[in-house]
Amino acid sequence: MPEIKVTPLGAGQDVGRSCILVSIGGKNVMLDCGMHMGFNDDRRFPDFSYITQQGRLTEFLDCVIISHFHLDHCGALPYMSEMVGYDGPIYMTHPTKAICPILLEDFRKITVDKKGETNFFTSQMIKDCMKKVVPLNLHQTVQVDDELEIKAYYAGHVLGAAMVQIKVGSESVVYTGDYNMTPDRHLGAAWIDKCRPDILISESTYATTIRDSKRCRERDFLKKVHETVERGGKVLIPVFALGRAQELCILLETFWERMNMKAPIYFSTGLTEKANHYYKLFITWTNQKIRKTFVQRNMFEFKHIKAFDRSYADNPGPMVVFATPGMLHAGQSLQIFKKWAGNEKNMIIMPGYCVQGTIGHKILNGQKKLEMENRQTLEVKLQVEYMSFSAHADAKGIMQLIRMAEPRNMLLVHGEAKKMEFLKDKIEQEFSINCFMPANGETTTVITNPSVPVDISLNLLKREMALGGPLPDPKKPRTMHGTLIMKDNSLRLVSPEQALKELGLNEHQLRFTCRVQLQDSHSDSDTLIRIYTHLKSLLKGYTIQHLPDGTVMVESIVIKVSSSAEEPNTKVLLLSWSYQDEDLGSFLSTLLKKGLPSGLSSI
Amino acid sequence: MGETSSDENEFDDWFIESLKIYNNIHEYQLEHPTRVIEWTAEKTICVAGYSLSKNEILELLLPLKLFADDNQGLCAERDFKVVHGGFSDGAVHCLKHIPGTRCVVTNDGFSSKLLVWDLGGDDCDVIKRTGDIQPKSASSDKGVKIASGLTGNPCILHGSQISDIQLTELTSGKPLYSVETDTPEALSSLQFVSGSVFLACACNGDLYVGDTRKHSAPQQTPAGGREGGHWCMGVKTDLSSSDPSSCSVARLSSSCQVVVSDLRNLRAPMSKAQLDVQRKTTSDNFMNVTWAPALDNCLAVSGFDGMVQIYNTASWRPELMEFQPLFIHRGHMMSEDQFDTSSAVVTTHVWHPSRPKTVLSAAVDGSVHVWDWVDKATASC
Repeated sequence: MPEIKVTPLGAGQDVGRSCILVSIGGKNVMLDCGMHMGFNDDRRFPDFSYITQQGRLTEFLDCVIISHFHLDHCGALPYMSEMVGYDGPIYMTHPTKAICPILLEDFRKITVDKKGETNFFTSQMIKDCMKKVVPLNLHQTVQVDDELEIKAYYAGHVLGAAMVQIKVGSESVVYTGDYNMTPDRHLGAAWIDKCRPDILISESTYATTIRDSKRCRERDFLKKVHETVERGGKVLIPVFALGRAQELCILLETFWERMNMKAPIYFSTGLTEKANHYYKLFITWTNQKIRKTFVQRNMFEFKHIKAFDRSYADNPGPMVVFATPGMLHAGQSLQIFKKWAGNEKNMIIMPGYCVQGTIGHKILNGQKKLEMENRQTLEVKLQVEYMSFSAHADAKGIMQLIRMAEPRNMLLVHGEAKKMEFLKDKIEQEFSINCFMPANGETTTVITNPSVPVDISLNLLKREMALGGPLPDPKKPRTMHGTLIMKDNSLRLVSPEQALKELGLNEHQLRFTCRVQLQDSHSDSDTLIRIYTHLKSLLKGYTIQHLPDGTVMVESIVIKVSSSAEEPNTKVLLLSWSYQDEDLGSFLSTLLKKGLPSGLSSI
Repeated sequence: MGETSSDENEFDDWFIESLKIYNNIHEYQLEHPTRVIEWTAEKTICVAGYSLSKNEILELLLPLKLFADDNQGLCAERDFKVVHGGFSDGAVHCLKHIPGTRCVVTNDGFSSKLLVWDLGGDDCDVIKRTGDIQPKSASSDKGVKIASGLTGNPCILHGSQISDIQLTELTSGKPLYSVETDTPEALSSLQFVSGSVFLACACNGDLYVGDTRKHSAPQQTPAGGREGGHWCMGVKTDLSSSDPSSCSVARLSSSCQVVVSDLRNLRAPMSKAQLDVQRKTTSDNFMNVTWAPALDNCLAVSGFDGMVQIYNTASWRPELMEFQPLFIHRGHMMSEDQFDTSSAVVTTHVWHPSRPKTVLSAAVDGSVHVWDWVDKATASC
């Protein structure tokens, strides 16, 4: 039976490392290659020994696809391609290709320089890895080879995030990566057509949650900023160049006047430069179904938000500053943080996850004393706020996506089966599809029922229709006769005559004849009539005819009676039938060998 | 900012105001609306659908952020977690948790059958039906009101009219007590005030006091204001006090009046008030009045429209007067989508048992809000 195999790699049940292997139609595809941020040893990498115990992965994988730039989806990519070894194509969208190497390099620097790790990929490895990348555009089918094709769909979530459809022949799988079904201020919602994949693969992390609304998260952000500024404090918001920063700027800009805020808002120039560099990518990706008028303005033409100068950090009075980098591990945001950390009127708002080893990570864990490079201790007295703005689909979102794509099977990864049984039941009941939940390292095999399209010739179709009877009904299949011709890559169903003609063959007929001897004193023609009567009474429902040419026909079987002059009472019955009526023919000959009953009337 | 319709302005105004009038507010959207919110533990609630066909029952864990008092800033977790879920073939109009167990009892609002469910533990997240209770004198098609026993063996008090109120033992289904009276008045609320004393409020406003240890007819007290209409009640119990009669009863009428009585002297109501509510809905289905468990003299009222109103009853008097609410939660009427907010109706609300000003409310559009309001009078400027 045709089947698709799915294996989430890695040990344990944790979330935090996405790497899924799919075997479909003889092709092997790796979906995402994430790093587990909680471990410091080899457990942070996916377990590639599942693919092969030793040696490079190139011959075992047809392609690798990365859904978006978050480290738990691409963090192990340079390790996989350069340290384990893979030389095949790596597919990702243009923004992902642009942003990935920056995050990977930052991550590498933090891990090696700050934490002194040795078994880690180098800067050169990141560059070599990115050379293998083939960029994808949305909704564009890409042929990986003759049989394997992939297509990216908009996923929302972060800039450049994609859901991917992998197709071999008539079997397909869709992998969602991370996605969300409600648009936010700078990204649209995920969208996919009714592509009816055999399997829809999705994370289960948020599948059992119900998300707090975006406006409540925004309210909390505005409230915290407002309160700090009201008491004369300064607010630092460390951000990555693109994405969340724009979202929060739009939010502040929208309400600053309404809230009668007088404090200045600054956006550091480092951010502006980087952001403008990716401006073109950004715009294509945010054009998808944005709700407000964001697109009509230049990204940094805000009425109330101005460019930051380093010297402003020392200005007295309240202010709000957006600065890079997002995890406070270096650069301007760290410098500003050092100046403001000692004042309890100030606040720092962390809008996202911080990697272990960064100052951001430490203060989010409640650390109040930090050791800086110059051996000095920094006291953290300012208020620390961790706010999560990242958009994820929740229980309702998963149901919406399933409704959109109409998969034949559902597969959820990274969840504990016993905590997902209700969701499994719900999906199975509402959509009548199977829902699988493999553990990491466990392979799920899904039997597919691929449909094989066959073209039927018009003549054959017309002939079948002309036979009358009820119109073809999907619930009541009808038997029909035809010949299947498989030539090149096409399959055609034609009438037998046409097939013979195309193949240049003559149709042969096969007829059987059989002689049965009977003792009967009647004349030949009377014996024939007796046979006719006998058969007519026994074989109800069959077409039995007595023809003027002196034969009896049962369906297409011909019966003749003859006798020789020397033995007029020994009748020889000649039965003749074609191959199609073999069963009836043998039945008749056996029947007639038994002789005719005596009580038959002749007329 | 471009063109803004007046709806958007109204929303923006409320949004800005919300920064001051709430400490915290969380808004969730369920797939299907609920008309029950029932606490099953300190941090979990149960909600359930009420459509005529298949519905879900969900046990939700409240977000960590609500409970992380000192370190609230460091906790980014704002979402509900669906910890257990199950399916019900009919609507759920009434859902009560039996204290000391992992059981809830539901009724569909039409039949007299009570369904018993096991919410499940750590090893399985499916809520399963474990049985049902078919009351003996199953009379009406009005649906059944339920109250859970406060002490002793798990048991349920239930009835659809005064005459068929019964106490049934949960595990055995054995009837332990039934009311000895013929009063056919339809029941609107039922509540225990102690281990054996209970209050029943009829739809016409009459209040009955019964005792499951005695087999006498419950004492009846007519409603304070006799203008007919539909009534429901909210009871404030003080379980720490050994005197079961030290409890306040508030009765709410469909004409938006509240009558507050003390159990010690039900005949003379302590105070009354005419609430400042313009009814938006003609149905009395969702009327709800509750006392704040951790505040004195504080009532919440909902069900007439898309708002939840909080009143301070300390200044109320025995003569009927109009009073303004202390706080109004308008969140369910404020929508960023093009939803017709004039049809928003709050289906139910509950107070957090220990956090003084935290309220949970639900509305017909499937929204569930958790909010922590600020009392302007006591808030520092």
